[in-house]
Amino acid sequence: MERLFNTILIGVSGGSIYSLMALALVLVWRSTRVVNFAQAGQAILSTYIGYEVITHTDNYWLAFPIALVAGALTGALIDILMVRTLMKRAHSGPVAGIAPVIATLGLLGLIRAIVGMIWGGDLRQFKLPVSNHGFTFGHNTIPFAPINLLIVVTTVVVMLIFSVIFQRTNLGLSLRASAYQPEIARLAGIRVDLTRTIGWAFAGAAGAVAGMLVTPTNYLSPNSLDLLLVSGFVAAVIGGLESLVGAAVGGLILGISLALVLEYISSSLAFPVAFVVLIAVLLVKPSGLIGAKRTRHA
Amino acid sequence: MFERRRSKRTIFALATLAAGALAVTAIPAQAFNVHTTDGVTPTTIKLGITIPLTGSAAPGYNKIPAAMIAYFNYVNDNGGVNGRKIQLVVKDDAYLPTLAVAKTNELILKDKVFAVIGALGTANHIAVSKSVNLGRRGVPDLFLNTGFSGFADAKKYPTTFSLFPSYIMEAKIMGQYLKDKFPGKKLGLIYQADDFGTDALAGFKQAGTNFAVKVSYASGSQSAQTAAGWVSKLKTAGAEVVVMFGVTTASGAALATSAALGYKAQWILGSVGGDATTLKAVGVPAVVLTGAIGASFLPAPTDTSDPYVAFFQGINTKYNGGAVFDNNVLVGMNTAMMTVQALRAAGSNPTQKGLVAALESKGSTFASAGLAPLNYAKGVHVGYNGYWFGSYNSSGELKPVGGDYSVYTTDSGAGAIVKSTYVRPALPANGLPTN
Amino acid sequence: MRNFLGHSSRRLKAAIAFPLIGLALFLLSNRVDELRVYQGANVAVFVVAIISIILLTGYSGQISLGHGALMAVGAYAAVLSQIYWHLPVILTFFVAVLAAAGFGAILGSAAGRLTGPYLAGTTLALAVGLPSLANQFGFLGGEQGLNYDVGLPPAWLGADFTQYKWFFWISGLAALIITWLSFNLLGSHYGRNWRALRSNPTAAALMGIHVGRSKVLAFTVSSGLAGLAGALLAMTISLVTPSAFPTSLSFSIVTGAVLAGVTLLTGSIVGAVVLVAIPEITGALATHLGGSEKVTSNLPGLLTSVLLIVAVLLFPNGPQAIMKRTRKSSQ
Repeated sequence: MERLFNTILIGVSGGSIYSLMALALVLVWRSTRVVNFAQAGQAILSTYIGYEVITHTDNYWLAFPIALVAGALTGALIDILMVRTLMKRAHSGPVAGIAPVIATLGLLGLIRAIVGMIWGGDLRQFKLPVSNHGFTFGHNTIPFAPINLLIVVTTVVVMLIFSVIFQRTNLGLSLRASAYQPEIARLAGIRVDLTRTIGWAFAGAAGAVAGMLVTPTNYLSPNSLDLLLVSGFVAAVIGGLESLVGAAVGGLILGISLALVLEYISSSLAFPVAFVVLIAVLLVKPSGLIGAKRTRHA
Repeated sequence: MFERRRSKRTIFALATLAAGALAVTAIPAQAFNVHTTDGVTPTTIKLGITIPLTGSAAPGYNKIPAAMIAYFNYVNDNGGVNGRKIQLVVKDDAYLPTLAVAKTNELILKDKVFAVIGALGTANHIAVSKSVNLGRRGVPDLFLNTGFSGFADAKKYPTTFSLFPSYIMEAKIMGQYLKDKFPGKKLGLIYQADDFGTDALAGFKQAGTNFAVKVSYASGSQSAQTAAGWVSKLKTAGAEVVVMFGVTTASGAALATSAALGYKAQWILGSVGGDATTLKAVGVPAVVLTGAIGASFLPAPTDTSDPYVAFFQGINTKYNGGAVFDNNVLVGMNTAMMTVQALRAAGSNPTQKGLVAALESKGSTFASAGLAPLNYAKGVHVGYNGYWFGSYNSSGELKPVGGDYSVYTTDSGAGAIVKSTYVRPALPANGLPTN
Repeated sequence: MRNFLGHSSRRLKAAIAFPLIGLALFLLSNRVDELRVYQGANVAVFVVAIISIILLTGYSGQISLGHGALMAVGAYAAVLSQIYWHLPVILTFFVAVLAAAGFGAILGSAAGRLTGPYLAGTTLALAVGLPSLANQFGFLGGEQGLNYDVGLPPAWLGADFTQYKWFFWISGLAALIITWLSFNLLGSHYGRNWRALRSNPTAAALMGIHVGRSKVLAFTVSSGLAGLAGALLAMTISLVTPSAFPTSLSFSIVTGAVLAGVTLLTGSIVGAVVLVAIPEITGALATHLGGSEKVTSNLPGLLTSVLLIVAVLLFPNGPQAIMKRTRKSSQ
């Protein structure tokens, strides 16, 4: 029982990071119908900026909002400089589904190269904002520490903030309208381009949060968030790509399944897990757990 | 508007086609395969290396070429090798076998290097050896930076000289060490689930080591989250001594996480994952590393009392921009120093055949930082074959257990483990070989 | 609308053109140096891989980010059939096609209901997960891999005939045959069904096309071709190892397909040449421009990425305008 409990705790702290990355991908998907592979690059750039602030000020809590703003700005900039053109030029035909994949992959490579040029390929680390020593009950240390609590709480808070924005504000209404029916939204006077830019900025900020939270317990390098991108994407797809709650649930399902497989089946099976979980979910629900109401044809 | 777009596309298509056609046809017809001595002119010798400079395997390894070039530049500033300056052509293989083959082909067929040095990665180099066929081309393939035991087969790889002791040797020697120092303790093992780990398992089996718990991980999956799972397994099994046979990021994750989860064990780090500088960089607190045991065949890069280390640190300051001096920099400079001796041994008119022969006849006498003997001989292409054990002090320096270096040597088969009596040659004057 | 005569004259042209192209290639392989011959072999491998994406994405409208994994299936099938069944090399290529097609059929049936990003995610997860399995089962040889040896070139080709030239002949011939077969396939009623499906699935269904079956068929054929490409790729490095099939391989071939124009078979040569030439050109440029180690090692990646973004933004449909025009004027 204790073993199962510990394993689930490990899964939850891993999964909540996936949820944040999934959230970032969902925000872009909802606003643009693009799976943004550059998200890992945007997150890594923001995290390096956070790293720079920490090395100069020794203050994580100052670096956090700066990284977040940097993430938002990068996201907005990418939309204005690249996605706008992409939407105009590759919006139909067989290439429409795949051109954004290539464009965002190109962008990922570009950001990685720039980061490598500035900071080099060395592994780096920044100090923990809170302790990573597991909570102790009597003689028992559980695999869940203040840092994990911080990650889970932040994920929940970020989800709540975005849910409020989407459900309760005019901006949220515009975001939803432009995502579902851009043409009608345009006719209704919504500035669709601006709205999409805001969606990318939100996503950039969410990715920065993921990077800033996962790095203290791991390390930073131009490639250190690559795997997180894949996990986040899989989590987003499990959740149905459309919903914030879906992203959160998808991340947790993936995180917990991974921890269970590593603990009970084989500790070296890390990579095939995502595929198995994904195909299992999609066989039952082809549009993810909380998918689109109507079937979508790409 | 439509026409304009169309013409743009046409131009693009034409340009791409033209570029492709040019790439293929602009090259003059040329005789095939028979290889004369490439890469040597009266004033230069051109060498090549492929190594990951980008991608997830790059951190650490990417420091090696610069360290090599730093030492070569020092030698070049002091007259070079028989009047020839050494050039090193560096290509990025991103740790992918397909790219390693493509880039080695560029080195040999386009840059026409005299020899390949310091190649890295098991799968990469098996692919290179088979596809590029360095042996049949007669291209010397010196000082491999991998512990895969297979490359020692001089019949299969006639021009290949490995440098590092094999993972099998390391595990065998470590198994003996466990038997001597920790009899009756419950042993745990973390290993990478690929050739690196399977070689280690073979070595431990050979040494008769019984682990109470073995945890494998897929290469690239190591993180604070997965390490939490490893630690819980070790904890449950009650392992008192844990051997970490993985890469540095994995041993870093294992050490940091076990500290975070209040799991205390005697850690023994394999040479691949034991670089203290990198461990600190990935967030292993000094207090966790203190008292852990590490294995190496080189002196610790922090040991300034070692004449080789002190000399290389000087070169690092002057010629390498004062890069952080870790195991990778030490390996790079040591490999470069051995390369210079190999080139000198090949004589004033070096040929590729002559270089291979010179290594076979004189390689075992080369001055190198390694504390284990070099075993090169006719038909024997094994470099170092031994390890010493040290423990990390509070500033992360690996200090020999018992004060002085006791090196144990063995082979990759069923051979015995013996205490070595080898005394390495003294550092040549000013670090410039005169062999 | 193509009439019967137009159709058959196209076939006739192809029947003349393909052997001529083949002859030209083989003559070329005698003219250029060994590095170019080796790179030519790689171009041929990528042509086959890119065609597998063109059939899938360009015609049936499905997206796969996991074709690298299918290439691995083909390569492992080929090498295992060589090791355990001692099949002659030529048959191992067929085994590669069959095994990957079979795997693709199962995956395609499971994924047949998936669209767009759901399929992309599933196939990407496959690309990440499948190759790592080679380290789980001893008979797959682990990271050090299984030696895939197609043998030396036959003696009658002469002593000057290099191993790489042999690789080039094999992969070049395979690429030609695959291109020719794909032309015919796309001209058949299957190709027409896929096109109908791609432009409007609902209308296609109303016309009596079985949407699900048609998609699975496309996935199966595409997987088979990917399997062949995988075996050919393994041939060029003489080894089957999981790290020869990284996630980036899947991305590369999709990139090649987009550069090729996604719907144009003959564009595959453009995509393949770019994929093979780019690392060398950007590497040489980086060395030429110089700079600190940080800069030079990242410059190739930077240049490649910028080229990619510019190509997709400015020419999302690839270099097909010119070829389409030629094809139209010839009809």
